[in-house]
Amino acid sequence: MKTLLHVQGLTKDYGNEKAVDQITFSLNKNTATALIGPNGAGKTTTLSILAGLLRQTSGTLVIDGDLKGDSRKEIGFLPQYPQFFSWLTALEFIEMVAKLSGLDGKFTKSQAIRTLDFVGLGDAKNKKTGTFSGGMKQRLGLAQAIVHKPGLLLLDEPVSALDPVGRREVLNLLKELQEHTTILYSTHILNDAEEMTDQLLFLRKGQLVEQGSLKEVRDKYANPLFKILFSDSEEAAKFIEIAPWPARQENEIVYIHLLENKPLMNEVLQVLANSNLRLSRVERASASLEEIFLQVVNKHE
Amino acid sequence: MNNFSILFQKEWRENVRNFKILWIPLVFILFGISEPLMYHYLPQILNAVGNMPSDMVFPLPDYTPEQIIMSTIGQYQFIGMLIVAFGFAGIIARERRNGTATMLYVRPIAYTSYVFSKLAIMCILIIGSACIGLLANVYYTYILYGAVDAVAFIGFLGTYSIWLLFAISVVICASSAFPTGIASVISIFLLVVLQLVDGLLGAYWTISPWKLPMYAGQILTGSFDKTPYLWSLTVTIMMVVLLIVGAIYIAKRNVAKAKI
Repeated sequence: MKTLLHVQGLTKDYGNEKAVDQITFSLNKNTATALIGPNGAGKTTTLSILAGLLRQTSGTLVIDGDLKGDSRKEIGFLPQYPQFFSWLTALEFIEMVAKLSGLDGKFTKSQAIRTLDFVGLGDAKNKKTGTFSGGMKQRLGLAQAIVHKPGLLLLDEPVSALDPVGRREVLNLLKELQEHTTILYSTHILNDAEEMTDQLLFLRKGQLVEQGSLKEVRDKYANPLFKILFSDSEEAAKFIEIAPWPARQENEIVYIHLLENKPLMNEVLQVLANSNLRLSRVERASASLEEIFLQVVNKHE
Repeated sequence: MNNFSILFQKEWRENVRNFKILWIPLVFILFGISEPLMYHYLPQILNAVGNMPSDMVFPLPDYTPEQIIMSTIGQYQFIGMLIVAFGFAGIIARERRNGTATMLYVRPIAYTSYVFSKLAIMCILIIGSACIGLLANVYYTYILYGAVDAVAFIGFLGTYSIWLLFAISVVICASSAFPTGIASVISIFLLVVLQLVDGLLGAYWTISPWKLPMYAGQILTGSFDKTPYLWSLTVTIMMVVLLIVGAIYIAKRNVAKAKI
C-alpha cells in the first residue's frame, strides 16, 4: 500500500512541557486512522501541526511526492469547534473557502452546492451561518474540509459533539469519503473508532504508546474470556469455590480468562451443568476497545 | 496577489452587512457639515437660546474658509482617530481570537493578500469617508464663507489621506501583533496621545508624520515650507511600508496563536 504521509519523531514543546513527544507513524493512502487518547494527550496538537497551524519543535513530515507545491491545498481540516464568519451564508462561506483552496472559479458554486447537499445542509445553504445550531456547524465544518477534495482529511473530534442520529449520519459520510481520501481523526468515543478504522494510534501524555490495526491491538491486549452471568451474586460466589480455573467475580458475573485457549467452552459448560447453579447466560467475549484503551493507558501509568 | 479578491470580497460583505459602510461615512459627513454651520449660525443660535443682555456684542472673528476646514480636521483628528482605533483594532486579532481565522489559515493563502484585503477595506471606509466628509465640508464652507483654491484643496486632501493611511497601517500592524484590547490601546497612544505630544513639544522638530495634518492645512492656505513637508511625507510613507511589511510578517508568525 502506498504511503501518503510519514511522520518521524514529531515533537512539540511548550516551554518544558512536551505536548507531543517523539511521535512516529505513517498513513497509507485511502485508509482511516484513529488517534485515540484521553484529554490532553496531544491529539489536537498533532493534528494542528499536520494542518500547518503549528510548527513542530523537531521532527519531520514527509507528504507523498504527488502533492506538489503548497501542501495546504491537499489538506482538509476540521477543528473541534469550527467557527464561521456569522455574516456569511453557508453557500457563500463554502464557495469562498473552495476558491481559497485553489478550486477553479467556474466550478466552485456547483461544487459548493454539491458538498452542502452531501453533508445534509442543502436546505440551509442560504441561511447565515450565525444562526446555525451546533450540529449544523459540525456539518458545515465537514463541508469546508472536503469541498476542495483534499487527499488528506484531518478531523478533530468530528462526531463527539453530535447526537446519536447525527453521529451515525456523519460516520456514514466519512466511510463514503474514505474510499478516495486518507482520513486521520481524533476521538475519545471508542465505539466510533471501532466502527471506522484501519489503524489505531494511542496517545498518552504526548507519547505514542501503542499502534496497529484494530485486529493487531485486539490480539495483543484482548485476552479472550468467558463471561458467565448468574441469577445473583451468591450463586456466582458458589461457582468461584468449585471452579477449577482462576476466576474473578463482579457481583453476579464471573469472568474466566483464557490461557492458551484453555478452558474450552464444553469444559466450562460441563462444570456449570454439574454444579446445579442458576445461571442466565454464558458467553465467550473479547475485550472491547474501551477495555483495551484502559489497559493501554494503565500499562503506561 | 493570489486570493486577494476573494478575501477582499469577504471583508466587503462583512462591512456592508454590519453597516460600517453606512455609519462611518455618516459620522465623517456629520462633522464635516456641522463645523461650517455651527460657526456661521453661532450668533443666531445664541440669540435664539436667549438669556443674553440685548446690548451685548459678540466679537466673533471673521473666519476664512481655510480656518473652517482646518477646524474640521481638528475634529477628524480626534473623533476620526477614535473610530479608526476602536472600530478596527480587532480587524485581525478578533478573527484569531474567535477561531474563524483557522478556517483561512489552513488554506494556501498568501498572508500578503490577507493583510492587503484588510488594508483595502480600511482605506475605502476611512479615507473614502474622510474625503466625502471633507467634500461636504468644503461645499458648505463655499456657500457660507467663500471658495478655496481647488488645486490647494486637492494637495490638502492628498496629504491628509497619507496621514490616514499611516493611521490605518498603525492599527493593522497593532491588530496583527496583539489581542484586540492591547491593539486599541497602542493605536490610541500612537494616533491620539503622540499627536498631543507632537503638538506640545513639536516646536523642536519639523519632520514627523504627526505634523502631516498641519502641513496639509498650510498647503490649503498656500503658505508652506516645502523641505520639511516633503521630508515628513517621505518618512511617513516609509513608516507605512514598514508597518505593512511588519503586519504581514507578524500575521504569519502569529498563526499559531489562532484559536483552534
